[in-house]
Amino acid sequence: MSLTAPRTISIPVAGSTLLEVDHLTVTFPTSSGPVEVVKDASFRVESGDTLGIVGESGSGKSMTSLAIMGLLPRGGTATGSIRLNGHELLGRSDREMRRVRGDKVAMVFQDPLSSLNPYYTVGLQIEEAYRAHNGGSRRDARRVTIEALERVRIADASRRVDHYPHQFSGGMRQRIMIAMALCLEPDLLIADEPTTALDVTVQAQILELLADLQRETGTGMIFITHDLAVVSQVAQDVLVMKDGEQVEAGTAEQVFSNPRAAYTRALLAALPRIDDPFDELKGTSR
Amino acid sequence: MAITILRRLLAAVGVLLLISLFTFMIFFWLSPDPAVQICGKTCTPERIDQIRSQLGLDLPFWQQYWQFLSGIFTGRTYGEGAAAITCAAPCLGFSFQTNESVTDMIVARMPVSVTLAVGAAALWLLAGIGGGLLSAVKQGTGWDRAVMTTALAGISLPNYFVALLLQYLLVVQLRWLPFPQSVTFTEDPLLWFQSYLMPWLVLAFGYAAMYSRIVRTNVIDTLGQNFMRTAKAKGLDAPVVLRRHALRPSLTPVVTLFGMDFAGLLGGALITETVFGLNGVGKLTADSIAKNDQPVIMGVTLLAAALVVVANILVDVTYTYLDPRVRVKSA
Repeated sequence: MSLTAPRTISIPVAGSTLLEVDHLTVTFPTSSGPVEVVKDASFRVESGDTLGIVGESGSGKSMTSLAIMGLLPRGGTATGSIRLNGHELLGRSDREMRRVRGDKVAMVFQDPLSSLNPYYTVGLQIEEAYRAHNGGSRRDARRVTIEALERVRIADASRRVDHYPHQFSGGMRQRIMIAMALCLEPDLLIADEPTTALDVTVQAQILELLADLQRETGTGMIFITHDLAVVSQVAQDVLVMKDGEQVEAGTAEQVFSNPRAAYTRALLAALPRIDDPFDELKGTSR
Repeated sequence: MAITILRRLLAAVGVLLLISLFTFMIFFWLSPDPAVQICGKTCTPERIDQIRSQLGLDLPFWQQYWQFLSGIFTGRTYGEGAAAITCAAPCLGFSFQTNESVTDMIVARMPVSVTLAVGAAALWLLAGIGGGLLSAVKQGTGWDRAVMTTALAGISLPNYFVALLLQYLLVVQLRWLPFPQSVTFTEDPLLWFQSYLMPWLVLAFGYAAMYSRIVRTNVIDTLGQNFMRTAKAKGLDAPVVLRRHALRPSLTPVVTLFGMDFAGLLGGALITETVFGLNGVGKLTADSIAKNDQPVIMGVTLLAAALVVVANILVDVTYTYLDPRVRVKSA
């Protein structure tokens, strides 16, 4: 074993705890004193499982994921504990975190067009992720890249690899982002509103793709969304956040069938239900 | 692509024709009679008429314009018989004050202007891009403020003032440099370099100031883009993120600017050349305006316009190679 901690992270065993977050608090300094955008969040992600984090804009769900990546915007500080396969991530240097990013924890963002650099081919952008961690020749990287594109079901991948982001549709771009995230076979995938910018049919395809890939690779996933309906499709566990606070946590079944927090109940009530035509009326009377 | 370029070239020819027409009109109607100028003080009306017919100044406007225009392609002859003066193509006119063809005058001054432009461009690109980058990456720090304050000075201080200040400091007070002299590189490389150093610095200062501000804005804008977050999330090294992902989007727009500025300078840096006594196209322009030597003024005006038009096309073509969104149509 080398002395450098990041390389000693063990291979995940299905069902074992992959990520443990305890008392995570994210603070930003403002002119009127520090503001806590995430307050005392604690949760677990088992390998091969999906944790859905639900909340409205500004609830702190994206900041939670950026804290895990060590990519908080300038000025932000995280306290508490974030352990990946038992190894503490908080307090690591940026250099150490770079080896975790992409390789151990990868991320898929909301808007795939702006998340890809318009000046480079999608192939190059996936290749550089692979080569940043594995080194190797460009040819190897290109082979892995084409394989990754095929895995996310991009037709004619060996030709498309040399195309630029603007030559793809929105759904395809998100597939490319997923290929980029998965080409390094990370232990944890953080999907931050990956389907929000897409239309409904494409959204369904992307969710299906993510589920399939997760079954194949056993990657643990954090799925961040404001959409409860989506969470109910993908997640085993659910965490509901509001104003930086964790208002509800439990298995998806518990949260959906027997919500404890009033906020969760209100969210659930706001969901349109196909089997209940008077849903709207009921929602307002509550 | 070829069709696009061809279309641009045709449009450019149109623009140049219009510019030549307007310039010609201005000199035809608005300036004093060249024949009177040439004739001098001891002049008779007969002599003036003679000069007028010799130069073709008695012809109607369109005919004179046509003579001027065709002279550019085929050359032209002023007068007849033994007194005839031939002006070889491309003939931009003939200065009767200096008894030289305008083309020859410009060609003789071109090397100085090119040297000035190339040296200054190298300096301002280096300083402007470097400064802007430093300022953006160290945003809000002392570095940023230092660069931006210098840039503000560069933008607001007039060229001639900086030139005089620099001459006073470096030549008169500190005696680090000799007074600029017109020598060629082959005559005395050191003196040549020393003579050009101040004009380069003066010229570059203003441009570098503008470029550093633009580069700073572009880089800050790019650093806030989502793809920068993606690049970091991939675990790339910070220098790679900056070099590969931030620099190219930030610098591509600068190409447009640079093409225009550089072409403009090839047409002569009027003030800098005059202040430093450099015999370039800019000095030629200034001198000709002072002497009201119309054919020369018209020639340099056309040249400057042609340079900008050509640069514009080159920039557009280059841009399609630099920005894939322009080059490659959506699938």
